[in-house]
Amino acid sequence: MSQAPNEPRLPDTTAGAVPAQRPSHADAPGPRRVPTPRGEERTVLGYHLPALVSMLLIGPACLLGLIALTLRFAGAVRIFFGEAALGLVFSTATLLLGFWLFRRIRPVRAPSLPASLVAVAWGLTAATGGALLANGSLNGIWSKTMGLEFAGVWGAALTAPVNEELLKLVGIVLVAIAFPRAVRGPVDGFVIGALVGLGFEVTENLIYAINAVFQAGGVNGAEAVAQTTVVRLLLTGPGSHWAMSAVAGTAVGLVAAAGWRPSGRRALGAPALVLTAMAMHWLFDAPLLDGSGGVAVKVLFNFAIAMIVYFVARDVHRRRVRRALAEEGEELGIRRSAAIALARRNGRRKALRSVAEAERAQVGERQERMVEAAEDRAFTHGD
Amino acid sequence: MSDERGAMAQPIDTAPGTARNHWIPLGLAAAMAVLLVVGWSLLNALVPGSERVRAGDEIVIGEGGGYRASLTLPQDGWTLDVGSSRLGESYRFHRGTVDLTVITVTPVGDPLPDAKRLWEGMGDLARAGDPTSRLGEPAVITAEDGSEGLTGVLRSRTEEGAATLYTSPDGVFAVEMTLGGEDATPADLEAVADVARAITFTEEGGR
Repeated sequence: MSQAPNEPRLPDTTAGAVPAQRPSHADAPGPRRVPTPRGEERTVLGYHLPALVSMLLIGPACLLGLIALTLRFAGAVRIFFGEAALGLVFSTATLLLGFWLFRRIRPVRAPSLPASLVAVAWGLTAATGGALLANGSLNGIWSKTMGLEFAGVWGAALTAPVNEELLKLVGIVLVAIAFPRAVRGPVDGFVIGALVGLGFEVTENLIYAINAVFQAGGVNGAEAVAQTTVVRLLLTGPGSHWAMSAVAGTAVGLVAAAGWRPSGRRALGAPALVLTAMAMHWLFDAPLLDGSGGVAVKVLFNFAIAMIVYFVARDVHRRRVRRALAEEGEELGIRRSAAIALARRNGRRKALRSVAEAERAQVGERQERMVEAAEDRAFTHGD
Repeated sequence: MSDERGAMAQPIDTAPGTARNHWIPLGLAAAMAVLLVVGWSLLNALVPGSERVRAGDEIVIGEGGGYRASLTLPQDGWTLDVGSSRLGESYRFHRGTVDLTVITVTPVGDPLPDAKRLWEGMGDLARAGDPTSRLGEPAVITAEDGSEGLTGVLRSRTEEGAATLYTSPDGVFAVEMTLGGEDATPADLEAVADVARAITFTEEGGR
């Protein structure tokens, strides 16, 4: 086990799983953590310049997306306000549930809240607004060059996987650069990707709800909204945008983990994952396996791919964090099993329950610091 | 996924030079977004997208239930705006200053709404596109195949035209037509007024 030379060994606690406060890494001598030569990289207001520029791109892009959506749908919302409000209720419920779920599935601990919110905001506005414009143009190109019939049958399958997947991917990359600590590995990419996809899916559901009112001739709009929402939530929802973007986001996590200079397996794996996400979208939109049964097969297929990617990324991350926790525990004089138990939310809760109530807040903070340090150790590059 | 070897443990965000590595993906991401939104739009504007429609050409507008609706334009000189039309959903035609838009709608509900309610819905759809649009009281119109529909005046601040609605014989879908054009004169519209009767419903398989 590696241990920083001269790092003080701290006594074990009664609970075993409650580490004492760890000295700051900057004070820890030895080769494990090399202090950052921050002087070499320009910072503004404490942010690295690329992170700041990324945020400066995300903000206006989200605003432009929102403007594009507003210009397109404001008239419809004004006339069909009740139907739009109903769609918004369904969308809000989906958003809240999805936001909780996707943040919950990150192993060890929840992702950064600001990064999560920005990821969802990108999906809700910038990606959907951009896709609205890009899809309209590319559909027009297909119609003009290949004919209306071809575009009607294959247009969606040749348009959405390109425009929508890439616009969502752009958001994942920008979030990863703006919040470098939030996307440090594949599992982070998966979660941030799922959140971008969730935002996209929620806005798209709302757009489909309004379109359903138009498709129904502007009569019985609430029924049209309910029908399309139920189909999109229950039938297609489990294998839709969140799943595709989660797979693409895993690619971003792979590249980010390599310091944005991937080589070897990562250089091959990342594009393969992005292409897989696009292929999932293509399958979803392609005029194959029509009918509810066929759509269900496609959804299950996409869901299965997302789950395979998730479990692989999750297990690798957990394994690395457990190892890092074991090392941290050894350095701090904590039992290996108790240190490793901190890798799970439940393990941390159990450990907290075993200490006196008056000490829980302080112990909780120590747990957080230890887990954070373990994740720092687990997220290394050059491996 | 990466293996777990490697003891050189530098957190990724603090690794020397990492921030510099961010510029390339940042630039690529920004360029990608601009390319997709602006690039496709420019390319679409450059590709010509009008298709000439001759008098008597039959265009299938939509289908549903056991019927198919077709439009047979009575005059020469119409063009189909392919770029802004969608198969089985909406078709936009132009003839000089006159614009003809034909859409199909699929009502929901049990029982399905009748033509009168769909006419009101059509007025709402028009107002959603242009807040100044108003659909007048409908009068009965008979298509060339004998189908009965509703027709009336469609006014907005910038133009005045006609709207027509036909429901399929089984009521499963409806065809909605609007005839107008900002620069179209009453004479222009009168010259093509018979397109409002140019809809034919055909039973599927019974052509």
